[in-house]
Amino acid sequence: MVQDLLNATTLASIYVLFALGMSLVWGTIGILNFAHGSIFMFSAFIAYLVVQQIPLGMPAVIVIAMVSGALIAVAMQYLVFQPIMKKAKNPHAGELQLVIGGIGLSAIPISFAQRSTLSNPFGFSAGSFETQAYTIGGVIITNVMIIILIAGLGLGVGTALWIRNSKKGLALRALGVDPEVSAMMGIDRPKLALATMLYSGALAGLAGALLTYYFNSITSESGDTLLLKAFAIIILGGVGSIFGVILGSFILAFAEFAVLLYTNGSWVTAVSFGLLFLILLIRPQGILGKKEVRRT
Amino acid sequence: METSEATEAPTYDYEPVAEARGVAVHYGGIKAVDGVSLGLRPGNISGILGPNGSGKTTLLGALTRMVQLTRGSVWCQGQNYSHVKSDRVITLGISRTFQTVRLLPERTVWDNIILSTDVVFKREGDKVEGLVKEAIARTGLEGLEKARPDELSYGMQRRVEIARAIAVQPRLLFLDEPTAGMSRKERADISALMRNLRSEGLTQLIVEHDVGMMVETCDYLYAMNFGSLIAEGTPQDVVRNAAVQEAYLGKHGRHDA
Amino acid sequence: MMGWIDQNEFLIGSTLTVFLLAISIQIPLRLGVISFASIGYYAIGGYGTAILMTQHGVSTWTSVVVASVAAAVVATLLGLIIARLNGLYLAMATVSFSLLLSAVAVNGGSVTGGAVGLFGIIGDITIWHTAGIAVVIIILVSFTERGKLSRRIDATREDSQLASAMGINVNAYRRLSFPISGLIGGLAGALAVNLKTAINPESVNFTLVVLALTIIIIGGQASWIGALAGSLFFVWLPEILVFVGEWEEVVYGTLVVFAAVLVPGGVVGVFNDWRHRRSVARERPKVALLEAAAGESDAELTQSRSGKDG
Repeated sequence: MVQDLLNATTLASIYVLFALGMSLVWGTIGILNFAHGSIFMFSAFIAYLVVQQIPLGMPAVIVIAMVSGALIAVAMQYLVFQPIMKKAKNPHAGELQLVIGGIGLSAIPISFAQRSTLSNPFGFSAGSFETQAYTIGGVIITNVMIIILIAGLGLGVGTALWIRNSKKGLALRALGVDPEVSAMMGIDRPKLALATMLYSGALAGLAGALLTYYFNSITSESGDTLLLKAFAIIILGGVGSIFGVILGSFILAFAEFAVLLYTNGSWVTAVSFGLLFLILLIRPQGILGKKEVRRT
Repeated sequence: METSEATEAPTYDYEPVAEARGVAVHYGGIKAVDGVSLGLRPGNISGILGPNGSGKTTLLGALTRMVQLTRGSVWCQGQNYSHVKSDRVITLGISRTFQTVRLLPERTVWDNIILSTDVVFKREGDKVEGLVKEAIARTGLEGLEKARPDELSYGMQRRVEIARAIAVQPRLLFLDEPTAGMSRKERADISALMRNLRSEGLTQLIVEHDVGMMVETCDYLYAMNFGSLIAEGTPQDVVRNAAVQEAYLGKHGRHDA
Repeated sequence: MMGWIDQNEFLIGSTLTVFLLAISIQIPLRLGVISFASIGYYAIGGYGTAILMTQHGVSTWTSVVVASVAAAVVATLLGLIIARLNGLYLAMATVSFSLLLSAVAVNGGSVTGGAVGLFGIIGDITIWHTAGIAVVIIILVSFTERGKLSRRIDATREDSQLASAMGINVNAYRRLSFPISGLIGGLAGALAVNLKTAINPESVNFTLVVLALTIIIIGGQASWIGALAGSLFFVWLPEILVFVGEWEEVVYGTLVVFAAVLVPGGVVGVFNDWRHRRSVARERPKVALLEAAAGESDAELTQSRSGKDG
C-alpha cells in the first residue's frame, strides 16, 4: 500500500514537471503549446543520441535534455509563436493560428524520432548511470525516484511561490490577466515570453530525461500521450494556478494507479479523459482556477 | 442575482421609453454601477456625461443586456426585460453602437450595415434593401458600399456603425461615444443626423466625453461619477452643477479623454 | 477518361473522404469553434461501419447510415458539454476526445481489432456513390456561404458579442454545428473504410489531425472550395513527388507552421483578397474624394475638451 502511494507520488512528480511548463506558458503569455509533448520527447531523444556515442552519467544526460528542451522551446517561440501573436489583430484571433502552429511543429520532431527509432522504445541504457534501489521499512525506493520527487515537488512548489512573491512573477501574472494594460505599464512581453518558454522547455527536457530513467525507455509517441494528460491536469487544477498543477498531477496519478490496480493497464489513458470531461462538466475553471473560462 | 420589480419604482411625469430601476452592476468588489435609476424621455436625445470609469458604458451594457445586473431591473415600454437574453434585445427595438469600432473586417460596408436587419427583418428582402440604402444616405456613405472597413478612415468606420444601428429602424438608439475620432464636419453631421432622427420620434441615449457636443445636441443630461448619478437636468443646468464641475474639472484637473 | 477514373479510383475516393473530413472540421471553425473532434467522429463512423458489417452482417448502406448517425449523436452530446467553453479550452477538450477514441480503438480487443485493426470490409459503395454524396454536401454547404446565413456565421465567428447585439443566438449556432460536423465526419470515416477495406488506430490518430489542419490551412477556413483544393493538393502531392510520400509528416508539419505564421487566410483567402482589391481599385478615386469632402483629418479633435470655461 505504502509502495503504491510512493509510486503514485513519483508519477505525480513527473507529471508536475511536464505540466508545469505548459501551464505557466498558457496562464501567463496565453500560448497553449501543443508542441510541448514533442519537446519533452525530443529532448530525451537528443540525450539518447549523445549517450549512444558517449556513455554519460545522469547529471550530464539531464543537462543535455534540459538545454535541448530550452533551446527548442525558445526557437519555437521566436520563429513561430511570437510572429503569430504579433500578426493577430487581437488575442482571440491568434488562438487558432497558435494551435495550428503548435500542432504542425509537434509533427516535425516526432517524425524525425520515429524514423530513427522505427517507433521502438529508446532509453539511456548505454549511459553510465545505474539505478540503485534502497529498502526502507519494507518499501523500495530507487535513486531515480528520489531525484524525481525532489525535482518535481521542489520545482513545483518553488515555481508557485516564486510566481506569488517575486516581482517578475507579478509581471507574469499581470500579463496573464491583461496583456495590453501590462504592456502599457512597461512589462516587456516579448522578453518575458521568451524567458518563460525557455524555462518551460527546460522543464520539459528534465521531465523527459527523468521519465526515461524511471521507465527505462520511452517511444517517439510518448509525448502525445503525456500531452493529453497534461491537458487533464491543467484543467483539473485550473489554468494559471501552479498549485493547481500540483494538485491536478496528484489527482491524475492516483486515479491512474487505482485504475491500474483494478483493471489491466490499457485503460489508463481513458482515465485522463474521463477526469477531464468530469471537471469540464462540473467546474470548468478547475479546482483552484480563477479565470473565466466560458464565452459570452 | 436579485432583480425585483418592486425596488423603488420611481415615477415620472411622462411615459419613459426605457427605464433603469435601481440598477447595480458589481464585479466582485468593484461597483461599476451602484444603484442608478432613470427613465428615458420619449422622442428626446438624452446624454450621459462622466469621466472614465464613471460607469456610463457599463450602464449602457446593462440596458442592452450585455452585462449582468447585480441588482435592480431594466424596463422597456412597461415591460421588464431584465431576464431577456442579449440576442433578443434588438427585437425589442433597442439598437446600439459600441465604444470601439466593431465591424466585420472581411465584409463590405453594405454587408456590415445590413447585418442588423438579418434577424429582425427576416422575411422582408425588398424592404431591407431600402432601409440600408436610406441608412447609407443619412450617414453620408454613398459610393462606399463595396469598400472594406480597413479601407476607410476611422471616422467613416464609425459612421458605418451608426448606419448599421439605424438601418434596423429601432425604437431606441444607444450611442456609445459615436463621434470619437471624427473630424469637426463629421461631428456636426452626426449631430444633425441625431436631431433629424429625433424629429422622426426616435428616442436616443448618447454616452460621450465631448461635453460641447452633448450640450449642443442633448435635450436632457445625466451626469455620472463612481457608478452613481450625481446630477440630471437640462444641459445648461447639469453643466453648471457643482458636483459635475468637480468631477470633470476639479479634482481631476484636466478632463481625461 | 473512364479508364483514368478506374485507375485512380482509390486516390479519387481518398480525396473525397478527406474532403468530407475537412468540411466536418470547417463547419465549427466557421463559427469560431476550434474543434478537432472530427477525427473522433471519423473514427466512430469508420469503426462503427466496419464492426456492423464484419461482425454483425449488417448491409453496407445501413451500416454507413447508422455509424454516421451515431457519430452525430456523440457529437451532440459533446457539444452540450463543451460548447460554452472558450477557444483554447474547447480545442483541448476536442483533441482529448479524439485521442481517447483512438485509445479505445487500440484497447478494444477483438471488437476493434486492437492495434492491428479490422480488415476485409467489402461493401457495395462505388466511387460514384461517394462522389454523389460529396456533391450533395457541397450543395448544402454552399447555401451557408451566401446571403444572410453567411453573414450571421461570420459575425458569430468574428465577434460573438456583436452577433448577439444583432440578434443572433450565438450559442444555438455553436451547438448546432456539433451534430452537423459529427454527421459529416462520421460519413467521411464510413466511406473511407469502404474504400480502403480496412481501418486501424493509426488511421485515426494525431497524424490525421495534422493532415486535416494542413488542408484547412491551404484551402482557408471560409469555403468548401478551399477544402476541396486542399484535399486535392494533399492526396495527390505524394503521387507527384514521391519523396514527399516518405517524409509526409515533416512536409505537412512544416507547411502547417509556415501557413500558420504567414498566411492565416489560406491560399484561397489570398486569392479572395486579390479579387476584392481588383474590384475595389476602381472605387478608390471615389473614396479619396469622399474623404476629402469629409473635411479635416481625423487626427485633430480626438481629445474632448472640458465644457465650460468658467
